[in-house]
Amino acid sequence: MNQGDIYVRGWGAVTTLGWSASESACNLIGGAAPPAAVGKSSHLVSREFKAFEVSYSGNPLEKSMAMLDSALAEAFAHAELTTDEIAESSVLVGTTGGLFIRNEYEFTEAVRNNPDRKSPAISCRNRGAGEVADLIVNQYGIKGMSLTFSMACVSSSHALVVAADLIKREKIRRAIVVGFDPLLNMTLHGFASLLLFDYDQCRPFCVTRAGMQIGEAAAVVILDADKSSSAKYKFSGGYQYNDIKSMTSAGIDGVTVSKVVEQTLTSARVSPADVVAVKAHGTGTRDNDLSEGRGLVKLFGEKLPPVVSLKGAIGHTLGAAGAAETAVWLSCLDAGAIPRSFGFTEVDPEIGFAPLQANVKARDGAYLFTYFGFGGTCTSYLIIKES
Amino acid sequence: MSSELNKNNLNTAMPVIAASYIGPALTPNRDALWEESHLPLNTDGLVNEIMGQPMRRAGRFIKMVCCGGLACLQKVSLDYLKGKRTGIFLATGLGNVDEIMPFITQVFKHGGGFPSPNQFANSVSNAAAFVLARICEVTGTVLTISQEELSFESALWLAQSYLESGEIELALVGGCDIFTPTVEEYRERVNLTPGNFRAMKMGEGSSWLLLGKDEKEKTGDILAVDFDDQLLRLEDFSKSEDILTKCEKLISVSLHQDSARQNKSRVFLPGFRLGKIETAFWKQKGWEIDDYLPCCGIHSTAAAFGIARALRDGQSSFFVHYNCHASGKQAFVLASTK
Repeated sequence: MNQGDIYVRGWGAVTTLGWSASESACNLIGGAAPPAAVGKSSHLVSREFKAFEVSYSGNPLEKSMAMLDSALAEAFAHAELTTDEIAESSVLVGTTGGLFIRNEYEFTEAVRNNPDRKSPAISCRNRGAGEVADLIVNQYGIKGMSLTFSMACVSSSHALVVAADLIKREKIRRAIVVGFDPLLNMTLHGFASLLLFDYDQCRPFCVTRAGMQIGEAAAVVILDADKSSSAKYKFSGGYQYNDIKSMTSAGIDGVTVSKVVEQTLTSARVSPADVVAVKAHGTGTRDNDLSEGRGLVKLFGEKLPPVVSLKGAIGHTLGAAGAAETAVWLSCLDAGAIPRSFGFTEVDPEIGFAPLQANVKARDGAYLFTYFGFGGTCTSYLIIKES
Repeated sequence: MSSELNKNNLNTAMPVIAASYIGPALTPNRDALWEESHLPLNTDGLVNEIMGQPMRRAGRFIKMVCCGGLACLQKVSLDYLKGKRTGIFLATGLGNVDEIMPFITQVFKHGGGFPSPNQFANSVSNAAAFVLARICEVTGTVLTISQEELSFESALWLAQSYLESGEIELALVGGCDIFTPTVEEYRERVNLTPGNFRAMKMGEGSSWLLLGKDEKEKTGDILAVDFDDQLLRLEDFSKSEDILTKCEKLISVSLHQDSARQNKSRVFLPGFRLGKIETAFWKQKGWEIDDYLPCCGIHSTAAAFGIARALRDGQSSFFVHYNCHASGKQAFVLASTK
């Protein structure tokens, strides 16, 4: 390994598939990935939306905090970080809603506890997206930089790329990159209002796809300039791009997607033929999957490696997607498998390929990650698996 | 790897090409009277003045971000960005609460029946940065950074690292937060509790800097952005001796790099967490105080207003902006005017 390499030292995640990245991966590989279901949490005001919810017996605010704690604990244990090493790290958080869950929970509780009164106005008491980083800093006594990126669906994938940039420039030594987005009424209803919600099933790259389904997650990926004894993954080629043509689409001709991925491969000095598999954004919306599918075909041609979307199994975890999908994917690789894509039944002729339909053995090499979010945001990076 | 790595400070000078500030009175680059009880003011006049046409579908936060960014670029014109690798770094403590609240109110009021898709689109956290980037035709690094009352300092730190690496040539760095009723809830959102802030009205602002190497156009330099790795107790937020020591140390490093700055006067800009300002103490030590807060009121990115205003109006001086996060983390920004 060369000087200047960036290592993935540890990771952790809580998703609908489990309270750890390894449990999520185990269920994913084992096929125990049930479709989204009607939300059960007490703060959800409508039962018409299916979502990939994390199971928990307490209230949604406590659950969100427990998810964050659990993901951090798993990542720290996996990375074998000492208390001092944690304290000298920097924290980069990606989140869309921050702790907005508190507002929704308190409002619905106030209504529930006062059934005879007129509904109060909802109040907004949370302190913005930066509050999540502040919680982590205070809990672990972290003295490094705190940076929060609130950039819709690429929040934590952008955070990973910025963290790698800062490590490469020797501005920070180690980054605890966090993705955090609990299930909110705001986003469920918001994507429904944009007609981007599939009320039946999330079907990435399938001709019958009709939109996304939202999931919730807390996830942590630790990037480090120093190689720990057990580190076998390198982060490489991180690229962020801002497409100003459209707020909601990366362009269905696939040109933007193709260029973003090409830039990643070029900066990492990896040829398309060396990409083992693609962890695609694959939201299940008409436009995203068309943009991404065409872009990947444009770049890889007939030698397209296996393409997987995790959103048919864990949902679109919005700002947490970057960290959550990376963490679950790495646990799958550790378990020896590239997981299959869920929710697919029939090839879309406009896309021209099927996502991976059976688990395959994970070999060493480059794995490509892509994210294309609201506001023209595009992120792409590689994780290199070495023995 | 350097032992300096964990000190969270950057000492590479960043030339400031342009600076602009807009406070709650919505009069660009002028200190103007305003009343907390009359806020928020209608932005239509400001939008017409800066943009030359209305922004009909945009929310107030997006309008303020765009007006602030474009007011900053007025000095050089939009064409100045063409052909240059430019980054946009939008700092905001609270973001577009003005769009989020009506949207979520509709969700709860109607059980999800009639929320507006346009309002949801405008409420997404990076919508404002997208609109500004589209106007400026910036396609590279466009980041929305939020770190409560240290959001602007964090964005400045990040922009400096991108400029220093050569990944970008220009950085448009701004802080924007808007007044959203009620005042009591707004204070809670900014985490104001007894003893952790200076008594002042709440406000808002959109203040921006254009950074990049251009000796001809530059009006000053950002010399250091420094996050101290010690966490202070609340009672130590305002200790003048300690703050002064740190300010002098920052200036000393800067003078070591360029002794021609020796004769500049020294100005202290206190952020809103500084509970009291010991004016006599600072004057005795040869410093002037620029208390900008009465001109913009408390908001999470008030630092951007203070720094942009000083860079725009200051007479050949060093100035240091100081603020402290409620958790005790301190941030210093050292700048000098030409």
